[in-house]
Amino acid sequence: MSVHPRHQSFGDQLRRRKPVVFRQHHRPGEELARTLTTFQLMMFGVGATVGTGIFFVLSESVPEAGPGVVLSFLIAGLAAGLSALCYAELASAIPVSGSTYSYAYHALGELVAVIIAGCVLLEYGVATSAVAVGWSGYFNELLHATLGLRLPEALSSSFLPGPDGVATGGLINLPAVVLVLLCMLLLLRGATESARVNTIMVLIKLGVLLIFSVIAFTAWQGDHFSNFMGSGIGGITAAAGTIFFSFIGLDAVATAGEEVKDPQRALPRAIMGALVIVTTVYILVAVAGLSAKSADWFSTEEAQAAGLSQILNDVTGTQVWGTVLAAGAVISIFSVTLVTLYGQTRILFAIGRDGLISKRFTEVSPRTMTPNFNVVVVSIVVALIAGFVPADYLWDTVSIGTLVAFSVVALGVLILRRTHPDLERPFRMPGYPVTPVLTILACVWILIKLPLITWVIFLTWIALCVAFYLVYGRRRATLNFTTDPEVVGESRDDEEK
Amino acid sequence: MTFVVGYRPHKDDEGPLELACQLARAYGSPVEALTVVPQGWPTAVAGDTDREFRRWAVEEGQACAVEALERLAAHPDVEATASWVSARSVPQALLDRVDAVDAGLVVVGSGEEVATGQVAVTSKTDRLLHSSPVPVAIAPRGYRAGEAATVTRATVAFRGDDTTWNLLDRVAGIVRETQSSIRVVTFAIRRGGMYTSGVPRAEDPVLRSWVAHAEEEQARARDHLTEQGFTDDEVECLTVVAGSWGGAMDRLEWGRGDLLVLGSSFSHRLAQVFLGSSAAKILRHSPVPVIVVPGLRAG
Repeated sequence: MSVHPRHQSFGDQLRRRKPVVFRQHHRPGEELARTLTTFQLMMFGVGATVGTGIFFVLSESVPEAGPGVVLSFLIAGLAAGLSALCYAELASAIPVSGSTYSYAYHALGELVAVIIAGCVLLEYGVATSAVAVGWSGYFNELLHATLGLRLPEALSSSFLPGPDGVATGGLINLPAVVLVLLCMLLLLRGATESARVNTIMVLIKLGVLLIFSVIAFTAWQGDHFSNFMGSGIGGITAAAGTIFFSFIGLDAVATAGEEVKDPQRALPRAIMGALVIVTTVYILVAVAGLSAKSADWFSTEEAQAAGLSQILNDVTGTQVWGTVLAAGAVISIFSVTLVTLYGQTRILFAIGRDGLISKRFTEVSPRTMTPNFNVVVVSIVVALIAGFVPADYLWDTVSIGTLVAFSVVALGVLILRRTHPDLERPFRMPGYPVTPVLTILACVWILIKLPLITWVIFLTWIALCVAFYLVYGRRRATLNFTTDPEVVGESRDDEEK
Repeated sequence: MTFVVGYRPHKDDEGPLELACQLARAYGSPVEALTVVPQGWPTAVAGDTDREFRRWAVEEGQACAVEALERLAAHPDVEATASWVSARSVPQALLDRVDAVDAGLVVVGSGEEVATGQVAVTSKTDRLLHSSPVPVAIAPRGYRAGEAATVTRATVAFRGDDTTWNLLDRVAGIVRETQSSIRVVTFAIRRGGMYTSGVPRAEDPVLRSWVAHAEEEQARARDHLTEQGFTDDEVECLTVVAGSWGGAMDRLEWGRGDLLVLGSSFSHRLAQVFLGSSAAKILRHSPVPVIVVPGLRAG
């Protein structure tokens, strides 16, 4: 069936949805093998989450919340956990690829999908840049500790001043650019992170964070916690917004849910298990860090790059443990960068297939079976952001994108339950409708406390995305030309030709 | 054009000889079995203590040539000779022989590291694949073609890039000579996405795009082969989507007289038959003899 745009009003087009792919549509025997156990799924969650932020986030959040940052971690963790539950239901009900963007297109319509696409580009693209910038700090620390070299300031930080307006003396963050380009080469060759590599990375991350906590606790100073609520609820919530970034990844559990045995039982357990482990580790690190250094120290320049390593160096008086931590961070953050960059390319692939951006993003190399144009464009943009934008602007931007996306996911669950009550849902979230409503409230509560500049950046970006859609995507959307679920619904019809 | 086959003395595996005879029968070529025995020290040794070893090598070489001829006698319809040479490198000796007799193909076995029926690239074959100017045929371990066996069908691994288009042309030319049919197969191996990326089923649409492109190319390939005089019965085009290379091979139907032909994914002169990662994986899972065609230049 073909529907040309001139037959649809503008309003209809903005609201139109991709047909929901019903599970019954699949032919028998085509379902994915349900092979994952709850524990494995939990480890995916821990692996995807830990390491994205904890190595850098204290220097951003402690100045906002003081010692009360411990509560910020709990708030951010709660919002992330609730969001993950909502996400899990949506992911299990609509078996398509492409992350939150695709779910929005199926559940909420084209305009919302475009907005979510903008959010997801921030969640993945900017997160990759942010992680690469953080990696650069630890890499420099490692170079200094092992070879006695340190890259000149001009080559290790951006020329743009931070929010405080002080000139950085930098030009470009070269290690971050090189890291992104290295990941690009790996992706062009079709590299993937296997379950085994993920497990190794989880162990490295947890190992170095444990070492950090144990050593930092030896320098316990109880009075560092004396003014616990000094920054007030406002400061603590604002910090939760920044910290939220470090809980991104928990949604990986939700999206892998299709491959788990007995999702109704396993998914909430895996999400909660991962959340408990991650939050415990984060709070342990935060408390350990705060016990060793006063809250004021975290806003110093020394704390900005490779903050955790600095604490260990100061506590032990040698560089050994700081170097071990820096090495662990350099290795594990490399894999985080690779995975996030990969996610970004595949989301753009999904958007390209829907015709909202150029189809060139969906061209696949015959040799390596990878979308080369897509990977190169994404990597160059991410490398430029990593090279020239300071981390201070990046974390909050990632958080705002993700929080908005997750709020919409929760909204999507509410809407889909009303519009498609009979849709087969292998996983139904517990506590409906309280859980999705609570999720939206938690996300919005954190959102309103994010700084004004973040909102300005975010709204400008979304406006650009919508403008691009009105000028380009609206006329080229695949739904203009066909609504055949076989074509647009991404059913698994490719088993054998 | 002679087919040179590497003959290893004192081994039970007659796979390479069987395959060489099968191919020779199909192409009407003579077979030369070449045994490589170790070489003594190239420099003079005091007291000529190396003499015993050299004498042994000569006797061994001669005995092996006789043994090879006896085994080749099982294929009386194939014109066969046997020779031996003393050299420090088996692959280099084979290549020298290929050069000397202007051979069209070199045939080797799969060694003893794999189970019977499986194809493997031994260290010697690997070296051969890196520098052979002619196609290299690898027999599965313990391969038995049977009397009067010939080639009935060549399966070409095709993915629609310049390298495999080149390969298709080369194979089409060869297949025409043997009156066998050609099967053009595209292997689409489902890659596991990165679980931790949070993008579910990320590789599914990528795979679908790739398959769509490959099938367009297959349709073109079929037209191209028809233009070259192949009838519809002689050309078969297939796309196999599977989760692993082993699974993909299992999904294909294989018979006696089947061959699998692979190309190099590198076009650089220095890399000649350096196998691409896909070719290496296909080869390991092939249930039939494999021919690797060298030096396919793109464009």
